Amino acid sequence: MYRLITLNVNGDLRTVAVKPNTTLLDVIRDKLDLTGTKKGCGLGVCGACTVLVDGETMSSCLLLAANMEGKCITTIEGLEEKGKLSAVQKSFIHSGAIQCGYCTPGMVMSAKALIDKSPNPTEAVIKEALGGNLCRCTGYVKILDAVKNWKTYSELDEPEMKEYDLEDYKVVGKSLPRYDARDKVTGRAKYTADIVLPKMLHGKILHSTIPHGRIIRIDTSRAEALPGVKAVIIGKDVPDRQYGVSPPRYDEYVLAKDNVRYVGDEVAAVAAIDEETAERALELIEVEYEELPAVFDVYKAMEEGAPLLHERYPNNINTSVDHHFGDVDRGFQEADYIKEESFTGNFTQQAPLEPHASIGDWQDGLLILHSATQVPHYVHYMLANVFDMPLGKIKVIRPTVGGGFGGKAETTPLDLISCVLSKKTGCPVKMVYSRKEMFLHNRGRHKQYIKMKLGVKRNGEITAFESKIFLDGGAYTSFGIVTVYYAGSMIPTLYKIPNYKYTGRRVMTNKPACGAFRGHGSPQPRFAFECLLNMICDELSLNPVEVRRINSMEADYHTCNDLDIRSCRYKETLLQAVEESGFSEKYGQLNDGHGIGLASGGFVSGAGYTIYRGQVQQHSQKPREPFQKKSIFPHANAIIKISEDGTQAVLFIGAADIGQGSDTILPMIAAEALGLPADRVRIRSEDSDISPIDLGAYSSRITLMGGNAVKRAAEDVLAKLFPVAARLMNCSPEELKASDGFIFSDKDDTKSMEWAEAARKYFNDNSSLIGTGWYKPPEGLGGDYKGATVGTSPAYSFSTAICELNVDISTGKVDVKKFWDYHDCGTPVNPMSVHGQVEGAVVMTTGEALMEDMVYNDRGELVNPNLHEYLLMTIKDTPEIFSGIVDSYEEEGPYGAKEVGEGATVPILGAVAHAIKDATGVWITDLPITPEKILKALKENY
Amino acid sequence: MRDFIIHEPDNIGGACSLLLEFGTQARIIAGGTDLLVDLKQHNIEISHLVSLAKIGGLKSITTIGDEIRIGALVSLNEVAESLTVKKRLRALCKAAASMASKQIRNQGTIGGNIASAVPSADLPPALLAAGAHVIITSGESERKVPMSNFFYGPRKTVLAVGEILTQVVIPSIGKKTAIIYKKFKLRGANALAVASVATRITVAGNLIKEGRIVLGAVAPVPMIAELASEMLAGQIPSHNLFFRVAEAAAAEAKPISDIRGSREYRKELIQVLTKQSLDEAFKRATGGGD
Repeated sequence: MYRLITLNVNGDLRTVAVKPNTTLLDVIRDKLDLTGTKKGCGLGVCGACTVLVDGETMSSCLLLAANMEGKCITTIEGLEEKGKLSAVQKSFIHSGAIQCGYCTPGMVMSAKALIDKSPNPTEAVIKEALGGNLCRCTGYVKILDAVKNWKTYSELDEPEMKEYDLEDYKVVGKSLPRYDARDKVTGRAKYTADIVLPKMLHGKILHSTIPHGRIIRIDTSRAEALPGVKAVIIGKDVPDRQYGVSPPRYDEYVLAKDNVRYVGDEVAAVAAIDEETAERALELIEVEYEELPAVFDVYKAMEEGAPLLHERYPNNINTSVDHHFGDVDRGFQEADYIKEESFTGNFTQQAPLEPHASIGDWQDGLLILHSATQVPHYVHYMLANVFDMPLGKIKVIRPTVGGGFGGKAETTPLDLISCVLSKKTGCPVKMVYSRKEMFLHNRGRHKQYIKMKLGVKRNGEITAFESKIFLDGGAYTSFGIVTVYYAGSMIPTLYKIPNYKYTGRRVMTNKPACGAFRGHGSPQPRFAFECLLNMICDELSLNPVEVRRINSMEADYHTCNDLDIRSCRYKETLLQAVEESGFSEKYGQLNDGHGIGLASGGFVSGAGYTIYRGQVQQHSQKPREPFQKKSIFPHANAIIKISEDGTQAVLFIGAADIGQGSDTILPMIAAEALGLPADRVRIRSEDSDISPIDLGAYSSRITLMGGNAVKRAAEDVLAKLFPVAARLMNCSPEELKASDGFIFSDKDDTKSMEWAEAARKYFNDNSSLIGTGWYKPPEGLGGDYKGATVGTSPAYSFSTAICELNVDISTGKVDVKKFWDYHDCGTPVNPMSVHGQVEGAVVMTTGEALMEDMVYNDRGELVNPNLHEYLLMTIKDTPEIFSGIVDSYEEEGPYGAKEVGEGATVPILGAVAHAIKDATGVWITDLPITPEKILKALKENY
Repeated sequence: MRDFIIHEPDNIGGACSLLLEFGTQARIIAGGTDLLVDLKQHNIEISHLVSLAKIGGLKSITTIGDEIRIGALVSLNEVAESLTVKKRLRALCKAAASMASKQIRNQGTIGGNIASAVPSADLPPALLAAGAHVIITSGESERKVPMSNFFYGPRKTVLAVGEILTQVVIPSIGKKTAIIYKKFKLRGANALAVASVATRITVAGNLIKEGRIVLGAVAPVPMIAELASEMLAGQIPSHNLFFRVAEAAAAEAKPISDIRGSREYRKELIQVLTKQSLDEAFKRATGGGD
């Protein structure tokens, strides 16, 4: 069956044995170890596997290796010459076109093929050439820039520093390229699926084919007899402990013990010598189910007598929130105008280009997990909980991660099953989700059914607001308990709302669980609120800018739901976006299907409390403690070690860079605080054995929390170093400052020495120079009601987005032309990264507004579990984006910084909907706003 | 993907006998962009693939007299960028360029796009409008089949076991004739047609001599909207006429509802696209040839 073929790859002739059904992608990755070429969808849609075949781009996942003899194949690894980057690679680095890096190799190959043929391509030609390469992080803006201006960028020796106006700082405020960009643009960066361990096996999961049922019998004997199969496990082989996200709602087993609750639920798993054998084995497992009635609709699920998913959640209500702040009845009485409206969200998915992947490696007395995760510590905690072993006997390694957006913010079945299979076989077991499995597993955004009522004075001043939301949560809790609280708690952070009532119900249905997705719980309610406010403005002939201005949140404000807003430049985001875009001149004045719309948003800069209570310890061994309004342990912890020659600092912090750039931001903060140039700090964040706990990339927390820990670790280093330097310079440590690689006296210009020399001297007499730092959010955050912790944060971000678009009135097709966004992120540590986050958020969320939608049939099966039909925006759909940063400083943040990553998504849905209303005269209140819905509404209204 | 055996015959006769030998257990692989997706998703199960890669003569675009002959293995991008095709049937280039992505267009072939017989395929409507035919060989004999007779249903064609589509032949389009392809898709790249229309108009003096309207993605096969087409013959072109023809085309369409659009929406799209393509085709036809 195997046959020897000889391929010309990157100029080398390589002879490999392949089967007829082996794809070129698999040969490149698995046989030639050229793992720079990525697998994102396996079906020729995402472009991550793009290679050049005789100079033309092709999707290597849809090429049979056996057909490729005699052709010249070029992969990303073939672009460097003797360690020198090609021009297009340099351009990608210097323009900031690289975030998670998973799309980068394919993107670079498409760009390379293009500029080899036409060195001065127009934007339209670039978009055509790159249309088949999906990116989930960048919004394509800097990618387009990188290809358009490749000559300029590639001729820079040093990347151009687009400096922000921050005179006080040497490193903070500079638009440095990502520290890991070179590895990502050369294909050297290793993602979990790229890693090969000795004796490694491959695991696959058997998923339930029915939406609800009881497992009567499973026969694995035929699967076990298949040559190459090393282990088959079912429910009885996994621990009896349940897992999940929030301890009171742990409701999942590693594999189904009795019932399956959605199409895709995990029933059995196989480890085999390769993925193909494991997949064959799955087909040989026989499962007999007793099918139970299933329910897919939120409202039907709550009816008496509806099929019950879990005994512990009566009426399928997973979590109930009943909040009332102030007095809404009085507030509505005081209102001159009251408007009520209903809105419906959509099921959308993070769809990071890198699918989930894990490698479990259960050794004697030590469990090692490699995982594509945003939250290494919570995965670590969950392994300790499920396998009932001390955290100290487990280590979690987070290789380079190809995007997360919340989908990787919880422990996955792969994390746990790979460990069980590894224990059973004695070998490391790698497991990677296919794109279809990514959709079956889901954990995407909850679909929210929203009813809102808003009361205002004649001038638009808000007097009362009431919100009732049902969230379709799917079959398990996942992050949902937090989501349903966030759906309510973030509303009063943007405008001053004196009276507020929120009723939230998270309801379980026989569909894949929903979880946390960028902006967690808040984008859809914010969409609804902003639409409602804009509707009122229309109806009362009020100016939407002025109404926002008079209700605007302000600094040092205590909200009705007991959140403490510190720095706040919301008004500036609003007014600057309005000015930059010309909103006031355009709104209501554009013709022929053109429209402009405005909405605002905001988010937390890190959750005020940890996801689990108590200290870092096995869950089962912890005494049950009452909740205390303080953090028990620090949320972020950092160590800085100075090399013995004093020239380099190495920063250790377990913060997860998933593409958002914390591996760049945190060393920049360290460099600033240490007084070293940026290139003299490296970071190690990937291994829990090496780096102390940082809770991870969720709730947009790392810049503020990780940054504070890093800054304090640097200050600790200086506190040790200055006395040594002071002795050498004959002055007092108090008068010393460090900057740009030197230590000098504040009082005496003649007293100065090299930083490295001082550090060498320190080492001679004191051994290693090490500093530690940590960060805990302030104590006492939040109110004293149930659920008061969700929404608490040391700081809040604010932003305003304005969207200009064109609607084809005959088909309903929307063409988004331009976005203007101003964000209050405090001090931008790296402005280029801030803009990159905003651009990515604009495009991702515009896609959610217009085209992303997971559709289920009446059997609970997802109709579109692929990137052909679950539509992500391509570069051809991307608008021009202006991203601005308002002048702001947050006392609680490192050098005044707060968040941008998640908050940037929040205003987008509302801005798009408002622009469509301006263009067409119709409001579409259910997402996504498809051409078909627009056309239907137009026909009904005119 | 399941295991299979690949055969790489170096002549067309060899390929045909392999197909005959293995019958329903065999498929032809050309670009593979549809086939591998089906194999990976287990939509079809086969044990033999017959590759056309080593067979000569299927990769060129030639002109013989007024005819254009396009070999089955010519890639979609080659069609899109071919000056020969552009000069005579620009609509076909546009249809090819509107497909999938650069990568897929470099891999996929014109023969594959036709023989796969996917209802939303982009090339067939333009080819039907042009009156193209395909050359089918059984190894021993060749036959010519008009594109309008080629499709039976979704993924069903007149190709018999052992037969291979080798060439697409586009006749001379003629003077005062224009063909326009219009497609509606839900995003800029990598998107199938929700509905598509290829319209052909020939003018004579002040009148429309004849017209043909072909609809894509709104029926089991690319279909000629016969009634709508007939309404054009001998008529004085007018906004009103084109509007009525577009309405008639929409009425003839037989779309299904699926994730890309409902039946009703597709009919509305057909009306819009037909009207737009008639306007454009008339403009170009009176400006002198396509």
